Amino acid sequence: MIGVFICQCGTNISATVDTGKVAQAAAAMRGVADAESIQYACSDPGQAAIAAAIRHKRLDRVVIGACSPRMHEATFRRALDRAGLNPFMLEMVNIREHCSWIHSDVDQATEKAAGLVRKGIARVRHHLPLSAGKTAAVRRALVVGGGIAGIQAALDIAAAGIPVTLVEKSPTIGGNMARLDKTFPTLDCSSCILTPLMVEVKQHENIELMVNSEVDDVHGHVGNFEVDIRRKATCVDEKKCSGCMICQEKCPAKAPDDFNAGMGQSKAISVASPQAVPLVASLRKEHCRRFSGGKCRVCQKLCPAGAVDYGQQDEVVRQSFGAVVAATGYGFYDWTGAYPTYGMGLYPDVITSLQYERLLSASGPTGGHIRRPSDGAEPRQVVFISCIGSRDESVGRPQCCSVGCMYIAKQAILTKEHIPDSQSYIFYIDMRAGGKNYEEFARRAQTRYGTLYIRGRVGKIFPRWGKLVVMGTDTLVGDQVEIEADLVVLATGLTASDGAGGLARKFNISCDENGFMAEGHPKLKPVEAEAAGVFLAGACQGPKDIPATVAQAGAAAAKVIGLLSRGELETSPMVAAVSQSKCSGCFKCRDVCPFGAIEDERPAAGRTAARVLASLCRGCGICSAACPPGVISLSGYTDKQLLAEVVAALR
Amino acid sequence: MISFPISINEGARLLAEIEQRSGQRLSACYQCGRCTSTCVAAFAFDYPPHRLMRLLQVGMVREVLASKTAQLCLDCMTCSMRCPMKIDVAGVIETAKAVADEAGLQDTERNVRLFRRGFLNNVRRHGRLHEAGLLIWFNFKTNNPMNDVKLLPLVLRKKNFHIFPPRIKNRRQVRRLFREINGSGKQG
Repeated sequence: MIGVFICQCGTNISATVDTGKVAQAAAAMRGVADAESIQYACSDPGQAAIAAAIRHKRLDRVVIGACSPRMHEATFRRALDRAGLNPFMLEMVNIREHCSWIHSDVDQATEKAAGLVRKGIARVRHHLPLSAGKTAAVRRALVVGGGIAGIQAALDIAAAGIPVTLVEKSPTIGGNMARLDKTFPTLDCSSCILTPLMVEVKQHENIELMVNSEVDDVHGHVGNFEVDIRRKATCVDEKKCSGCMICQEKCPAKAPDDFNAGMGQSKAISVASPQAVPLVASLRKEHCRRFSGGKCRVCQKLCPAGAVDYGQQDEVVRQSFGAVVAATGYGFYDWTGAYPTYGMGLYPDVITSLQYERLLSASGPTGGHIRRPSDGAEPRQVVFISCIGSRDESVGRPQCCSVGCMYIAKQAILTKEHIPDSQSYIFYIDMRAGGKNYEEFARRAQTRYGTLYIRGRVGKIFPRWGKLVVMGTDTLVGDQVEIEADLVVLATGLTASDGAGGLARKFNISCDENGFMAEGHPKLKPVEAEAAGVFLAGACQGPKDIPATVAQAGAAAAKVIGLLSRGELETSPMVAAVSQSKCSGCFKCRDVCPFGAIEDERPAAGRTAARVLASLCRGCGICSAACPPGVISLSGYTDKQLLAEVVAALR
Repeated sequence: MISFPISINEGARLLAEIEQRSGQRLSACYQCGRCTSTCVAAFAFDYPPHRLMRLLQVGMVREVLASKTAQLCLDCMTCSMRCPMKIDVAGVIETAKAVADEAGLQDTERNVRLFRRGFLNNVRRHGRLHEAGLLIWFNFKTNNPMNDVKLLPLVLRKKNFHIFPPRIKNRRQVRRLFREINGSGKQG
């Protein structure tokens, strides 16, 4: 006894598909006891109507023609369950995304919808009751990335009593936020609000902090990810080092200063910043004299704690996790290759916004005094250019970086505060100040701090008599603009961070065309990755500012806590099963299985057969397709079901 | 071509003067264009009001002072009423007009400036406007004595056109008013 329910979805479906006719056509099919059209099947009254039909007409299987199963399959399974039917006796037919939304001709769309429903009815006849299993979940979470997103997520998860491992690839946590001077729109000192959180991570009993570490390899699935974490050799024993920085002071080998975005210089062995957490030195072999053939061992000799160990090797640690939060943050667009007319990085006084941030910062290379790189002079005329590598299809980057407008306004304000007789100019295309108090903040940059906003893109920058001439346009006046600048700051756009793509592949997270990790649903699953048990926090999912990052990290943590708080997870019953008596033991299935879910077994003496480990099987069906004698079947997707569908479609 | 920094020319000084005398913050203008949308006289301007505000922002003060806009603005104040940033746009234009007159930067719309001068002198002298006197003075000043003479019978029949100057009480106080506003009483 089959019940067929055709949803009108308001006018989403009924405007293009005559749902009444579809229901009529369905009613004529063998085994259909009830077929009706419902205004909103997912609504309370809609579900009640389905439940009532199940009870009164003794339905034992249900076809619902509505939206995508990704949207509402779970809803209707629950409805069946409540009505006393096995929840897996449901077949959803997508007549919205696959029909009404993409067609305009009512007759043809109706015919197609009726055909799709016919397929569904043919398939549901072969449905069998299934039941979900349970599997234990490891009560430990992995957070990858130690920026503000990772820090917030780790703290929130740890606060719920769930142990967390926080993995950070660089020598200190804090990420990009630790390099910022002030934050918009309140001008809070960035490190003043971040450092306490960094210290809390270090001290929290539920958080294991692993810096200089990266995810090497991942096995398993939601509830039980087995992750190999590589702790890179830094030649410094983290437990012994006290962060006294004597080694950094005495090290004779200069090295680029990564923390200061290349402004100023560091040493081969160094502590990333005075506020680093953990406050531990690390040695970069590529810059060290000893590792480039020399005999220097100054740091080892002078270290009062005896923490320097040149023989240290990478160490791989394997840990199990129930859930994972990816918080890999963002990087800055490398403009030097793409904007030849801005000097390609050849003019020392054309710098990026992050470099300027380090010049503003009291912990930066100039101690918080704005000095331009070329001659150390204090700039008077400062030009900011927005949308570098953003909203620029000619360099393949159409997206808005979403924070540039605001951070430039902030930097212009700070410039005026540092140098009261300076003048800042901002070349912009549109000013985007959507957040709370953002518009007022950007307006203040103009009215109170005298920043001149010039609408237009800059054409070129060239040096002239010790200054930089910026050639642009003011589209509001309709004329060219020429500015003799002392310093030019480029507001480079945000990119996915280095290595985010590799990590995404390891956890089966899909990425969008810009390299940012894709959320499960743009509206309703903003923190869930497509892979079960993997969550996204912060700018790894897309450019965002600090408040949005912290909010998303909290949301991701809540999801992790929700997932792991019960201690066990429901598993999908739609897994593969081998009919062992017919298995020839060729193990093609084992070769193709992406989840390592097939093992060999000896059901009788003298022969081996494949067996599916239900807890690892994700129901992808590859084994079933690959099996030469065709003896592996996937519950819910049996050959019978699929063939019935095909036959119905071809009729 | 607009050149920065503007402190290298006199633009910055004049700009500061206009900001100070009008009491308006030019930087608050975000170029929404509502002033121009509502302006009834913009058809006759060389720069519509929002463009004039922008020119001031980027220091193109000379262009503004020499513009027709500064002379032709009717002072109807609609732009000031409608400005979302509460800028008194008409007040800015009015100030630009005064600064231009003082600096002798105006060489456009001679008749408009002449009429304005005659109007105010007339009011100062008589205490209120003497239309006939002003028109005759203006016609002779512009070498066009017969201008609008055809309309004379019509306005005489309406009986509110007076050949002789009006007499009001205490003309001296009006003159003092003029003196107190700006000493010379010569400009608007």
